[in-house]
Amino acid sequence: MKKMIVLILVTAVFGFVWGGDLAQSAELKYYQVYAPESGMTAEEIMRVVYHNKYSLFAHDYDLPDSEVLYVDPSGLVRKKLAKRYRRVEGGVNNLQYKDLVVVTYPSSVKGLAILTWTFENPERDQDVWLWIPSIKKVRKISASEDDDAFMGSDLTVEEVSTRRFEDETYRLIGEEDFEGYTLEETGEEKFSGRPCFVIEAAPVKPHWYYAKRTVWVDKEFGGIIFEKYFDKNDNLFKTIFREWDWYTADDLKYPTQVTIEGKDLRTGHRTVVFNKNQKYDKGLDESMFTLRTLERSKW
Amino acid sequence: MMKKFTLIMVALIVFGGVYGLQTAAAEPVADFVNQALPFEDLEIVGYFKNATALETSGFDELLKFQNIADFKANYRFTDQVELFTEIKLWYDAVYDMEGQYRDLVNKEKNRKLSLPVKTEWIRQAYLDIYTDRLDIRAGKQQVVWGTTDGVRILDMVNPLDYREWTLGDFPEMRIPLWMINLEGEIATNSHVQVLLIPDYQPNYYAPAGSPYALRTVVSGAEAAAQPFVTVTTIDEKPEHTFENMKFGIRWRNVIEGGILTGLEYTLNYLHTYDFASSAYTRTEVNINPFGPPDIQVKLTRRAEQIEVLGCSFSKSITEGILGDFGKGWTLRGEFAHVGNGAMNYGTDNNIVGTVDVDQFNYAFGFDKVFLTDLQFSLQFIQMIASKREDFDQSQYTLLFGPTRGPLDKIENIITLMLSKDFMHERLKPQVLIIYTDDNDWRISPAVSFELNDQWMFETGLHIFEGRPQHLNGQFDKVDQIYFESTYSW
Repeated sequence: MKKMIVLILVTAVFGFVWGGDLAQSAELKYYQVYAPESGMTAEEIMRVVYHNKYSLFAHDYDLPDSEVLYVDPSGLVRKKLAKRYRRVEGGVNNLQYKDLVVVTYPSSVKGLAILTWTFENPERDQDVWLWIPSIKKVRKISASEDDDAFMGSDLTVEEVSTRRFEDETYRLIGEEDFEGYTLEETGEEKFSGRPCFVIEAAPVKPHWYYAKRTVWVDKEFGGIIFEKYFDKNDNLFKTIFREWDWYTADDLKYPTQVTIEGKDLRTGHRTVVFNKNQKYDKGLDESMFTLRTLERSKW
Repeated sequence: MMKKFTLIMVALIVFGGVYGLQTAAAEPVADFVNQALPFEDLEIVGYFKNATALETSGFDELLKFQNIADFKANYRFTDQVELFTEIKLWYDAVYDMEGQYRDLVNKEKNRKLSLPVKTEWIRQAYLDIYTDRLDIRAGKQQVVWGTTDGVRILDMVNPLDYREWTLGDFPEMRIPLWMINLEGEIATNSHVQVLLIPDYQPNYYAPAGSPYALRTVVSGAEAAAQPFVTVTTIDEKPEHTFENMKFGIRWRNVIEGGILTGLEYTLNYLHTYDFASSAYTRTEVNINPFGPPDIQVKLTRRAEQIEVLGCSFSKSITEGILGDFGKGWTLRGEFAHVGNGAMNYGTDNNIVGTVDVDQFNYAFGFDKVFLTDLQFSLQFIQMIASKREDFDQSQYTLLFGPTRGPLDKIENIITLMLSKDFMHERLKPQVLIIYTDDNDWRISPAVSFELNDQWMFETGLHIFEGRPQHLNGQFDKVDQIYFESTYSW
């Protein structure tokens, strides 16, 4: 009898401690860098992916040069240039991060600025304000539908900024070395042979714009380097490649996205994003992420 | 007719030629400017535009043939100090081309229909000084208050140029004023703005004879043209003195934390002069037993000192109520009480007198994105006029300023804007519908096409329906189709 009681107590204590560890690992901490490891579940790997995608390991993010190319199959190339700033709020007032994008080219939309507040609650839409140069006014705008094109690109709003861990279910397919991807824009082959986790993700929403996607998660960067989107008939209709690099200034080592190439295989149109000169943890003040900053725009 | 056609073809050929150059060289104008700029911290952008409008009843009458060159320059002295200037040069050739407008051009005071006069070509010129807690913008500028589009409730800081009624974009219609604009940060997301405005200009109304002359302007001109009538007009404008300085203050807060997170609201006060002058008339009839009568009309146009007190708000519903109900909508609203104003009273098109009036105006807006990129924006506006002096209401009513038509105590306006984009935001159709009381409305469909980073084309219609006494009906016979081509660099 005594042995039974001891056994039960030990099991209970062990279960309590182990369960606590599980609960801890379900939520990653702000301002810490994580990397996926062998033995992790698909869910654990994808938590790391979203943590890194939204730069939640840093206090702030300053991207002074972002170039977006819209490449039509006819050969016409349109360009947008923008600056981007992010401040990770760490859950203060239930905010995950604040984001500011300012378009600097072409001149017809120069000065367009978007201020976004993103919340920890995955059910809650972002709060978005827009400075529209053509009306010289700040407008509170409705969050776009997540399957809408982001600023006319081949990437959806969800793919750029609103997809959360809770929006999909995950299945670990396996581990493999990535076969490599040739950037159409530059002709360079990228990331050939990089070790990856391969995960299949399916949206929780029924009748969504994709039925499933297969993602290659780089083991070193902890970020998705390639995605394939499939429709309900299992036809591949979109691919997205993301190139990562390390930001290594000031004793920091952060994974950062430097290039994105999204291709719509149905239309032949593609969108290419080049991010340059990004910096982290520069002490961006919260006053930068206010309507006053939007109204400073003069264009 | 042939002359008009030739001019249109010349314009198209010129722009086509530039486009041809454009396909050969990436950005010839921008490249040239960048090489010519002597300073690294000087940024210049601009555009060239042709805007052509045809009246639709016979498609043989030009309403506008305007060519515009706009330049914006920003010089950054330091990260905290910048100087910004916008210069806009334009020429509307329609007043030289169309015979019925020729008289307007010949009269010096109406020259501004064709060209910018005096310093109008300086659209904006101001110095920006940024500090941690205070932004200062001093110079010629526009300040926009409120959340409503196309209707002025709180947007009363700058006067408007009504030469094309309200068909243009408001930033192009607003007349910039010299002012000091201070914005101070009390706390993150809490700001106080103070405006000190020594400058004053009234609204500009197109003179009688031009395509979009207001009914009240046309009526006044017709009355003045009557035989034996002499009209003396006196404009009473506030002098540019310290005592007459206009003053505005706005408190703005965005709530961060709690269930109202993201709610933005403002409290506004503006001490200013009405940009739409009130008309006071006095008529003397001198009977001459041996000849025709001598009718002397003294018309005093007075800018009334008014007080505007109001507020605004906007909130997106980011979490659904009872499930997903309501999620995705943005609600906005603004309210303004305008005190110490004045309005005419009388019968339709006949001013009998002027009384003191307070107005209470408010608007609600509802915005949402439906389906894929279909933007929906609905606004409901009410304007309530309350007289502070008595007059014989059995015979007379308050009169609506732009038309001299009878004004209901409560005027209602509904606007609906639908827009979408295709081809990766290159092709954007939209339609704007404005409906006011008494079956008065305007519908303005348009489509724009972005050829490349530099070239943008737009075409659309403005269709007016209603009776002449009302806001849109006064232009019932001036429906138009327009074409705009813009080269930006």
